[in-house]
Amino acid sequence: MKASYIPLIAAAAMLASCKPTIKGVTPSSGEANFSYYVAIGNSLTAGYADGSLYRSGQENSYPAMLGKQFMTVGGGEFRQPLLPGNAGWPAPKRVLGYTTSCDGVTGLGVKLYAGASDTSGSSTNISGQGPFNNLGIPGIRCVDYTVAGYAAFAQALAGVGYAARIYPHPATDRPIDIAAATNPTFFTMWLGSNDVLGYATNGGEGNGTGGAMPTDISTTAAFEASYNAVVDAMTLKGAKGVLINIPDVTTIPYFTTIPGRGLVLSTPTQVAALNAAYAPLGITFALGANAFIIQDPAAPGGLRQIKNNEYLLLTLPQDSLKCGGWGSVKPIPKKYVLDETEVGYVRSATNTFNEIIRAAAIRKGLGYVDAHSYLGTLQSGIRFNGVTLTPTFVSGGAFSLDGVHLTPKGYALMANEIIRVINSTYKSSVPQVDINNYNGVLFP
Amino acid sequence: MKKGFIFSVAAVALSSATLHAGSFQLNLQGLRQTAMGGSGVAFPWDVSTIFYNPGGLARLNGIQAYAGVFGVSPTVRYVPDNSGETYAETKRHLSTPFAVYAGGTLSKDSRWALGLGIYTPFGSSANWSNDWTGRFITQSISLQSIYFQPTVSYRINDLISVGAGFVYGTGSVTIKKALPVQDMNGTEGQAVLDGKANGVGFNAGVHIKASNNLQFGLSYRSGVRMKVNGGDASFSVPAALAANFPRTAFDATLPLPGILTLGVAAKVTPRLTLQGDLVWAGWKSYDSLKFDFVQNTASLADSKEPRLYRNTLAVRIGGHYEICKQFAVMVGGAFDPTPSNARYVSPDAVDADRFSLSAGLSYAVIDKLSIMAAVNYTTTAGRQVKYEPANFSGEYQIKSLVPAIGITYKF
Repeated sequence: MKASYIPLIAAAAMLASCKPTIKGVTPSSGEANFSYYVAIGNSLTAGYADGSLYRSGQENSYPAMLGKQFMTVGGGEFRQPLLPGNAGWPAPKRVLGYTTSCDGVTGLGVKLYAGASDTSGSSTNISGQGPFNNLGIPGIRCVDYTVAGYAAFAQALAGVGYAARIYPHPATDRPIDIAAATNPTFFTMWLGSNDVLGYATNGGEGNGTGGAMPTDISTTAAFEASYNAVVDAMTLKGAKGVLINIPDVTTIPYFTTIPGRGLVLSTPTQVAALNAAYAPLGITFALGANAFIIQDPAAPGGLRQIKNNEYLLLTLPQDSLKCGGWGSVKPIPKKYVLDETEVGYVRSATNTFNEIIRAAAIRKGLGYVDAHSYLGTLQSGIRFNGVTLTPTFVSGGAFSLDGVHLTPKGYALMANEIIRVINSTYKSSVPQVDINNYNGVLFP
Repeated sequence: MKKGFIFSVAAVALSSATLHAGSFQLNLQGLRQTAMGGSGVAFPWDVSTIFYNPGGLARLNGIQAYAGVFGVSPTVRYVPDNSGETYAETKRHLSTPFAVYAGGTLSKDSRWALGLGIYTPFGSSANWSNDWTGRFITQSISLQSIYFQPTVSYRINDLISVGAGFVYGTGSVTIKKALPVQDMNGTEGQAVLDGKANGVGFNAGVHIKASNNLQFGLSYRSGVRMKVNGGDASFSVPAALAANFPRTAFDATLPLPGILTLGVAAKVTPRLTLQGDLVWAGWKSYDSLKFDFVQNTASLADSKEPRLYRNTLAVRIGGHYEICKQFAVMVGGAFDPTPSNARYVSPDAVDADRFSLSAGLSYAVIDKLSIMAAVNYTTTAGRQVKYEPANFSGEYQIKSLVPAIGITYKF
C-alpha cells in the first residue's frame, strides 16, 4: 500500500512548488544605526522644486525617500515640516501651460501656478511639532550655519521664512545648534551649493572671489570653518552618515537651456544691417546661427559676442530676445550672463569647497557622495528601468521647472546614489528606491 | 502496488535525465508526447504525428480524429537588483493552446496517407501589472498563433515512410507598455500595439521502422516569419504631446525558428517503450525585434530591440508503459537550454534553461475511443539577467504546471 502513495506525494510536491521561490537580499543595517536619521541641507534637501516649496515636493524629497528605505533596516518615523498646501510658498510654483509670446505664437511654456491658493497657515511657526528629521532650509548656505539669528536675518533680507517657520527662536538660534540638538544616529549632509549658486544664478553680479552676501561666493576660510564645525557637531556623539558634495552648477538647465548661439539670421538683409552696425567693433554676422551680443564693460564699446564657454540664464526674458532686439541690436544685460571669468570663479570655488567636504569625510570616516561626478553622468543620460533621464529642460525629466532643482524622479536618482555610498561605506544593504514610482515633469 | 513501483522507478531515472521548448515556443501538440517530455518524432503514436513527424502518418492503420487542449498559466517572478525583498510576478492568466488532427491511411493497406493538423506552435502571455517597475518596457504582451498544416505521407516500403505538410500560420500580437510622460495628475502615458500576423512554412519528416522494436524519426519544421503588416499603434499621452504620438500603422516580423528533430524509440519489453529526441532549434535567426512605424516623429522612432538569440539543442525523453490493453501510463522529462542572451532578456520574453517533468495516461473507453490526460511541470532556476537597452536587471524564475486532456477516435 505504502508505495502507492508515492505518486500522490510526488504530485503534491509538484503543486507546492508551482510558485517561483527566488528572493532578494534581506535588508541589513551593517555597521550603521539608522534608528534616528536626520537630513542637513538646503533647498535640495527640503524637497524644493519648480521654484518653490510645496507639500508634495517635500513628501518626495530625497531625505523622505531615504527615511522610507531606512525603515527596512531599523529606521524610525521620518518627520518633515510639511507645508499645508501644494500651490507653493511663499511664491506660487511653476507649472507647464500654454503661453503666448510677443510674436503671437502660443505654445507649451513655463508659467506660474494660477490655481486656488492653499498656503494659508504656511508661515505659522511649527517648531512645537518638532523635532523634525528633515532640516533642509531653502536658501541656506554653509556659512550661515554658525550665524546666530540666521532665521530672522534671512526673513528680513529676502522675505523667506523657511527657517523662521521651524526654528524655536528665530532671532537667536544658530542652525548648527538646531541640527546638533537632534542628536541623530545617522545623518546626511548636502550643504554648500548655495555658497556658489547664489553668485551664479545672479549672473555673477556679486563678489566671485569671496564675500559675505548671498550673491557672493563664500570665502574659503568661512566655508571651511563652518563646514567642519557642523560635521564636528553632528558626529560629536558618534553618529555615522554621509557628506554630499556640490554639483557642477554650470551643467544645470538654468544655465544651459538658452543657447549662446541663438541669434538666428534668416535673410541677407538682416546680416547686412547687423554687419554695418557692428563694423566699428569688428563684429561680423553670417546667415544662420550667430552668437548673441552681450554687455561686457571690459570689451571695446562695452559689448561683444558671447563665447562658447559662457552661459545665458534661464531668467533672461524670452520676449526681449524675440521682440526687444536683445542680443542683436541691444546687448543682453550682464546680469543675465555668466561670463568666462565668472564661470571660472564658480568652478574654482566648487572644487575648493568639494575638497573641504571630501577631507571632512575622510577625517571623520564618513561616506562621501560625489554628486558633482554623479550628476555629471546625467549629461549623457542616466537610464533606469526603461526610462532615460537627462538634464534637458522640461523634456529631460530630471530637473524641475526652475532649472536648478530636481524633479521627484531626479531626487530619486540622488537617493539611490546616496544609498549606494551608504551601503559601500557601512557594509549595509539598504534597498534602492524605485525611481519610476516618482513623478517627472507634468504636462497639460 | 505495481503501479506505484513503475512511477517511482521512472521518476528516479528521469531525475538525472536531461530533456525541450525554449522561449515563446510551445511544445504542446500531442497528449502522449507531452506526457513523455515532448518526445515523439520516432514513434507515430497516433494522428498527432502530423505535427511530430509527418513521415509517420502512413504508418497509421486507417483514419483517426484527435483533439487536445492544454491549460497554460505560467508564473514569472522578477526580483530587482539591490531592492531588498521586493519582487514582481506576472498575473496568472490561463491560455488554452489546442491541437486538432484528422487523417491517416486512405484504406487499411494503402501506402498513401492524408491529414490535416491545426495547432498552436507558439504563444506567450506575460501580464505584468500596469504599475510595476518595468512598465516602460512592458505591461503585457500576448502572442497567439494557429497553424494549419495539410499533410501527405507515403510509405515507400516497410522500412521507410516519408511525409510533408504545408504550413500556413496566422496569429495576433498585442503589446501594452507605459510611456514615461505624465499629465498634470501624474498619470503616465501608454502605448498599445495590436496586429495580426501570418506566415508560411513546411513540416517534413522521415520515419524508419528498423524492426518492430526499434524505430527512428527525423523531422524538420521550417522557420516561419510571422509578419505583422499594418498593425495598429495607438497612444494615450497628455494633450500637449499628442502631436508627437500620432496613431499610426506599424509593421513587425517575428521570426520563428526552424527545428530539426532526430529521435529513436525502442520497445524494450512488450509493454514498455522508451523514446528520446534530440532537438536543434535555429533561434539564431532571432537577432532583433523591429517595429517600423509608418508615421515617425521626434518622440516616435522606429525601434529595434536586440535579442541576439543563439541556436539550441534540447533533449527530451519519455517512457510509455502499457499496463493492460486499455490502459497505459507515460512519464518523461526534458532539458531545454535557453536561446536567450543574458544581456538582452526583456521582461516581455523572459527565458532561462528549462527543466521539465511530465506524466500522463491513456484509457481506451472502447476500442475506437481513447481519452488521454497529461501534466507537464516546467521550472527554471533563478537566472540573473539584464535588458541592457533599458538598464533593467534582476533575477527571474519561471514555473509552470500544464494540465492537458485529449480524445482520439479511430474510424
